[in-house]
Amino acid sequence: MRRVFIWPAAAIGAAALVTFPYWTAEWESSRFATTVLRDILVFAIFALSLDLLVGRAGMPSLGHAAFFGAGAYAAGVATQRLGTDQLPLTLGAAALVAAALALLIGTLVVRSEGIFFLMLTLAFAQIVFAIAFQWTSVTGGSNGLAGIARPFLGGIDLNPPDRMYVLVSATFLAVVLLVRAVAGSPYGRVLVGIRENERRMRALGYDTARIRLSAFVLAGSIAGIAGALSAYSLRFVSAQDVGIGTSIRAFVMVLVGGAGTLAGPVIGAAVVLYVERILSSAVPVAETVLGLLFVAFVLLARRGIVGIGGAAWARMRR
Amino acid sequence: MAGFGKNELAARRGYSYRLTRRQFLIASSAAALAACGPAAVAPTASGSPSASPGKTLKIGQLLPFTGVYAELGNSMRRATELYLKLNDNKLANRPVQLIYEDDANVTATGIQKTQKFIDQDQVDVMMGVVPTPLAYGIRNAVHAAKMIFIDTNAGGNFLTRDVPNCTPACKSPYIFRASFSSYQISYPIGDYLSAKGTKDFFLAYANYGFGTESAADFTTGIKKNGGSVTGNVAPPLGNADFAPFVTQIKNQPTKNVYSFFSGADAIGFIKTWNQLGLTAAGYKLYGAGFLTEQDVLKEVKDLANGIVTSLFWAVELDNAENKKFVADYQKQYPLLPDVFAVQQYDGMRALDEALKKLGGDTSDKDKFSKALEDVSFKSPRGDFAFDKTTHNPIQDIYIREVKTQGGQTVNTISDKVAKVTDPGK
Amino acid sequence: MSAELLFQQALNGLSFGALLFILAAGLSLVFGMMDVVNLAHGAFYMLGAYLALSVVQLTGSFWVAMLAAPLALGLLGLILEPLLLRRLRGRHLDQVLLTIGVSLIVVDQIGVVWGREVRSLAAPAGLDGSVALFGGDYPVYRLFVIGLGIALAAVVTLVYRRTALGMHIRAGVEDAQMLGALGVDIDRLFALTFAAGAALAGLAGVVAAPVFGLQPGMDVDALLYSLVVVVVGGLGTLGGAVVGSVLIGPADTFGKVLFQEFALAVIFAIVALVLLLRPTGLLGRIRIAR
Repeated sequence: MRRVFIWPAAAIGAAALVTFPYWTAEWESSRFATTVLRDILVFAIFALSLDLLVGRAGMPSLGHAAFFGAGAYAAGVATQRLGTDQLPLTLGAAALVAAALALLIGTLVVRSEGIFFLMLTLAFAQIVFAIAFQWTSVTGGSNGLAGIARPFLGGIDLNPPDRMYVLVSATFLAVVLLVRAVAGSPYGRVLVGIRENERRMRALGYDTARIRLSAFVLAGSIAGIAGALSAYSLRFVSAQDVGIGTSIRAFVMVLVGGAGTLAGPVIGAAVVLYVERILSSAVPVAETVLGLLFVAFVLLARRGIVGIGGAAWARMRR
Repeated sequence: MAGFGKNELAARRGYSYRLTRRQFLIASSAAALAACGPAAVAPTASGSPSASPGKTLKIGQLLPFTGVYAELGNSMRRATELYLKLNDNKLANRPVQLIYEDDANVTATGIQKTQKFIDQDQVDVMMGVVPTPLAYGIRNAVHAAKMIFIDTNAGGNFLTRDVPNCTPACKSPYIFRASFSSYQISYPIGDYLSAKGTKDFFLAYANYGFGTESAADFTTGIKKNGGSVTGNVAPPLGNADFAPFVTQIKNQPTKNVYSFFSGADAIGFIKTWNQLGLTAAGYKLYGAGFLTEQDVLKEVKDLANGIVTSLFWAVELDNAENKKFVADYQKQYPLLPDVFAVQQYDGMRALDEALKKLGGDTSDKDKFSKALEDVSFKSPRGDFAFDKTTHNPIQDIYIREVKTQGGQTVNTISDKVAKVTDPGK
Repeated sequence: MSAELLFQQALNGLSFGALLFILAAGLSLVFGMMDVVNLAHGAFYMLGAYLALSVVQLTGSFWVAMLAAPLALGLLGLILEPLLLRRLRGRHLDQVLLTIGVSLIVVDQIGVVWGREVRSLAAPAGLDGSVALFGGDYPVYRLFVIGLGIALAAVVTLVYRRTALGMHIRAGVEDAQMLGALGVDIDRLFALTFAAGAALAGLAGVVAAPVFGLQPGMDVDALLYSLVVVVVGGLGTLGGAVVGSVLIGPADTFGKVLFQEFALAVIFAIVALVLLLRPTGLLGRIRIAR
């Protein structure tokens, strides 16, 4: 019975999201709210891609920013140095570069597990950071690439903030549908299976290393797209975008919201960015607040098991 | 880290206990939004233009209050508040409202806060910005919005120059700099030293934009008089252990070492220089002024004695304005001012002078820009004026030497290079 | 590189390695015993250093600080483990999030209490001079650090191998559940272990302060370095922490000087190399995913 309401509700919600700058145009803070929401959605895409690894495939990657940043740099370089200004080209380049990097790194890391996987992904991301920081001729070095122009979609100039927002929100919705499709597909279930018990999956005949690699590359390319959107939104890329800070923030967004769910990473992105960008204006100890939030979530979930667990168990017994 | 334990059981049974966590998140976010909503979502004052004389002047200050540059941000805040206190919290008879934002040395955050100043707070003028990447990152947004921005630290050369393709940045009629260009603190000392006969140097600099720029400008300076660079070490920015690098310096023959380090790196470098006995072994250290600024000297103290640096200011600078400034600052805060405070203080003064010319009317940004171009006053650093083409200050660069006198370790002035301008290209 | 230069850089590398060992030992202990990656380890290190600052200001003695800071951190660990970590046994991602949260709080509050300026701590009188060694004068303090590292390794090995506590810890590293089933109070053991880990981090903070200084952001660097050492050496074993630091210390030192452009990446390249060749670290044994 619930299903009847979900699709229309979701459609309305999606439409409202995409048209946000238009129906809030009368608000005094419409422009600002639009940019905040835009940045949240960019990170939500990034966090969703990381959740494919952390939440579904059980691959805790602490180096995911390498692909986010690679996509951002690719978009920036394509626009600035190669003069391409069509969205499909620059976005495609970003996804491709990120995917290629993910393939390269993935091949090396995918056979590790647990903390070793974590350290390897971290190590490779730091290597990418060092390259980005030093390779001034391509990446702008420590100063980064500034003044990146927003691309065109056919004849439409995406420069105005409302159009940029529509692009970001539309991409976000597309990614949500994609991740949902992947999660629900046989492929998605295989990923969960590998997370649960890799040996058994291998015994069943799955090439677990190759499947893990494919998840890594998929997650990497989506992260690259998020990176490109970030480059357009801020009109700026720097080594910080591939840095450990960005990787940790994404990881934290996934965990805070709830790994393995669709809404989790999105909510996590909203919460973390809200504290960092908005709360920090009002409160000087924003980091402490963020830390307390994390501690509170982790501890409060315990009551959740008892509460929800009881209800669901009762429901199942009916 | 495979396996989520209870979470797994939960997921298989078709629910996730994360639901409660999400509910908590939604509830707490809503509560927080409700609490800070009016402050956060609505503009911090009425959105109507506050450009007219008599109305409150809104100044957006983008400074680092957390992260590795927090000390600079705090120093600059102190200088701002000192200036306003001495001027009855008014600039050109307009009461001032300061809106501080913390960039936390994360460029994306700084860019977003700049958007907030432009879209949300609708400030009349923007000041601050410590790291150069951030200054480059906001250049276009500030220019497009015709927001007058007085940079009170970031010294990247490109911000006040003509640059092909404006990459990574270029000058703007609306951007002024009350601090320095990295050229100004690196080239003159190279020229000066090599002209006086010290021609060959070994370089030691932090391996990032500012450090490499300074090393390059210094090199140009010494090459002008036939000098040369015999080698270099370039520790990464934020390096922890300087011993490997200083050991390398000790094991090469060139005794004159020019360096660029600031803050924590400078402290680490100077301490290690001492621990490994380089001065005793005949090595002489030169540098751009930040190597021996107050934030460094207060920690290394007499270990820095004898280091020769170039900067447009020193605590010991003997002019009436500076004596008054240092006295006022010390009376208000039990601290010696540093160059970052001076940069910010001069920025406020320049703003004040321009506003006086405009009669307080900041509505016409092009007039505002012109008024700033025309300011000229006596600042703690000497005569202060913006170069009309670049908007970078025209200033005397002092050759300073660290000495301990009267129990305090300070930079004393030994010479100066007068009226240095940035080449602008 | 001349022989003198090589010798001096080797000393630099070893003293850096000794500092890394003192720093990483605590992390290794906690992970090996409790299977917890304590991401607040860097924050504990930072707190130890700042506490030392205050203690030295108050008492004028570095040695008192070297005693007081680890004690204080140990106490903190003793409080935090039962309060926060105990409920999260087996919930690895939750532990990660929790320790990140603790780290954010501790680091921000350090900024509130001590301010956010860059600070430094002088080496204690008597250890702040130099001795003439092959190739020139070498700072005594760095030699002291090497000695301290060796001494610490010896003490920890002794406790590990010759005491009942050490036996329990070794057993716990192998199979904590079994140990509990055999009647050892696991809760108390874990609390003590976490406290010891925090204390070691605090000690590292004090000892490293005269070399590395104190500034915002030092916690992240410390955490990264200790993670690298622990994982490269092999998790959870004391020998692993020793091997890891003896490898990483000199490698980082020489790497920075030889590969200047990629100094930032040198240790991570080493991590990647080691893990690719020996997937569970140099001394690590294959562990079934817990």
